[in-house]
Amino acid sequence: MIPFFAVAGLILLTSVLMLLPLIPALAELHNKSDALPLSVIQQHTGEIRFFADGFRTYMKGLELPLRECVSSGANTTGTMPDGSEYLVLGRGEEALFLPFREHNEFRPAVIASGTDLLLPSETNFSKEIFSAASVIGGTMNRYRAILAEKDVRLGRESSVMRWVHAVGEFSADPACQLYGRISSDTGIRLSAECRFLRLNAPYIAIGLEVDGAPDPSQLLSDAVVYQRLFHDGDFEIQAGEVFEGNLVVRGRLRIGVRARVRGSVKSEKEMVLEPGVSIEGSLIGASTMQIGSNCMIRGPVIAERTVLIQKGTRCGTLQNPTTVSAPNIEIEEGVVIFGTLWAREEGEVMAGA
Amino acid sequence: MIYALYVIVSVICIYTARHYWFTLNRLFGFQRHPYIDIDTADWPPVTILVAAHNEEKVVANILSALMTVKYPEDKMLVIPVNDRSTDRTREIIDEFVGRFPGRIRPFHRKEGKGGKAAALKDAMELVQTEVILIFDADYIPGAGLIRQLTAPFFDPEVGGVMGRVVPMNCGTNLLTRLLDLERSGGYQVDQQARMNLRLVPQHGGTVAGVRLSALREIGGWNDTSLTEDTDLTYRLLLHGWKTVYQNRSECYEEVPETWPVRIKQIKRWAKGHNQAMVTYGLHLLFGKHRASLRERIDGTLLLGVYIMAPFTLLGWVLALGVFYQGVAPLHGIVAILSVTAYAAIGNLAAFFEIAAAVRLDGSRKRVCLVPFLILGFAVSIFAVSWAAVSQVKDALTGAEFHWDKTERFRKAAS
Repeated sequence: MIPFFAVAGLILLTSVLMLLPLIPALAELHNKSDALPLSVIQQHTGEIRFFADGFRTYMKGLELPLRECVSSGANTTGTMPDGSEYLVLGRGEEALFLPFREHNEFRPAVIASGTDLLLPSETNFSKEIFSAASVIGGTMNRYRAILAEKDVRLGRESSVMRWVHAVGEFSADPACQLYGRISSDTGIRLSAECRFLRLNAPYIAIGLEVDGAPDPSQLLSDAVVYQRLFHDGDFEIQAGEVFEGNLVVRGRLRIGVRARVRGSVKSEKEMVLEPGVSIEGSLIGASTMQIGSNCMIRGPVIAERTVLIQKGTRCGTLQNPTTVSAPNIEIEEGVVIFGTLWAREEGEVMAGA
Repeated sequence: MIYALYVIVSVICIYTARHYWFTLNRLFGFQRHPYIDIDTADWPPVTILVAAHNEEKVVANILSALMTVKYPEDKMLVIPVNDRSTDRTREIIDEFVGRFPGRIRPFHRKEGKGGKAAALKDAMELVQTEVILIFDADYIPGAGLIRQLTAPFFDPEVGGVMGRVVPMNCGTNLLTRLLDLERSGGYQVDQQARMNLRLVPQHGGTVAGVRLSALREIGGWNDTSLTEDTDLTYRLLLHGWKTVYQNRSECYEEVPETWPVRIKQIKRWAKGHNQAMVTYGLHLLFGKHRASLRERIDGTLLLGVYIMAPFTLLGWVLALGVFYQGVAPLHGIVAILSVTAYAAIGNLAAFFEIAAAVRLDGSRKRVCLVPFLILGFAVSIFAVSWAAVSQVKDALTGAEFHWDKTERFRKAAS
């Protein structure tokens, strides 16, 4: 009998040890605590204005006090339904003089103004700002988020942590740091040494000098389906040459001065566009990309590493906006992008030569 | 016998290493999503083909979803490919055509060869755009999905694009929960790692797109294939077109809720995959074409995925045979046998891959179900092996492949 019990005991012990890892599995199967489908973004589409639109809806709760403050010229404070404190200003310029600063922190949290909002310098605005008119910020400020129904102008060396949306023009003075999303329904202007991540507007002008480049709307439509041409190894399109077709180069690609490509271009290694090049389609680089001065590119510009865009270049058109995207973007003053400029890791405005 | 076993062990070791390589790349490597940031562009016209064969339970859902996506209306045409349906599919589609005039052009196929590829092939007569997107009728695309799947076609080298499939009925029972885990591993890790490493992401034939000029160059849809998606992947590759995977282009699907349906589905996949292996395997590995060396190797390993099931079963039989013959393993082979034992119990590397995928998805408790995957593995290994055997039998007897539609479980939209 003893060997029988020994064997039975061994089998029992082995079975228990085998079933041990299944206990959490059985518990989860029974409880279904994590059985919902993975969250898939079904409705919003990664829209850059998503947070701004949400905040605009949130601000509807302040419509009445805002209207009253504007007509009376008075200020008021209170608490939103979610517990956030707010300050409503009848006269936006009074924000410069109000005693709401404690150790460079502006209190209370959400600021709303019915008129142009003038903000002091060297201040941390840790909650959202809303203006029914424009927002003009002092220097070296730190913002969480701004929504303005007119223009937004940030003073030198200011930074934005989450997002800004301006119905009018957004402009940033030198050395601003724009983390998160910056969008405008009118246009964006960035000065030298500004750093950015994601920008979207009908036009994004880098620096004050935006004229001088030819209008890319002169470029033909790329509705024609061009033949695809392959080249293994390095390739060069000669200066002044007109190249017809979609070009895929498995090596380095150089496009000579004032050459024109009637189609799209891709290279697996470095790509260099010399000054005055026109591309009617898209520009795709699996490595780094250098776009010379006064180039015109109609379609999306995508680089998997770094893209350098030199002065006078224009990407997209007002009628046909496009996207310029890369992990790292260096862009010189004098460039205009129509549409989206998106640096996944870091974008920087280089001071003009 | 022992040498055959060594071969099998070696091949299993290669697949084990591959799983680990992919998982570690996904956890620690550079992640490629080059086209996902294209949110503003002069969007090209697209045609969206919705494959529907007796889909009265689900077709209204996808058509409703497609009518609300964010894509220029004048540049998007939906073609429901109603393939010889005998239920209310036609009626439902025609109702949508009436509600959205000019945006849906139905293709009612009354006769012809069976199978999705044959239906898509016939529907091509209506397609005039360079970009074609394909959905099965049980999928529900989100608002931004059409733009996300179209964006890669700005790259002139891209011939095909594939999005991620997410089960929406995952909580129904044990099978759906296991399939949810498998999908996570397959897309979140396997497909994305192949994208990261510039290997061969697989076209899935749904939540997917193809370039018309590329499709024409490779000879159109292959209606002799049981898995037109695998077939398409390899023909694109052999003609120098890239298939790209977009992990963030997610779309809900319905997974089988009963084991017989699941077995039928995986047997069809296995047969189609093996068919592609026989057709393209040698040419891919040794032929003259534009695929890189790493694409050739990965593509070949991908082709062999389903043949590994009977191969593993054979390994078990051989291992038993070796044991009872009393053959002593060669000196130093013990280590390899250890790996075999480790891998043979279900290739734990694949389970590691799935656990990592679940983690990347941000899920918490569902990772607890990983031990149950051994059950899904056991069913799959026998089903896939049986499919391979019957495929050989069909080839010898000259029997034609039969295309089985996957049964739907959703309640019909009212």
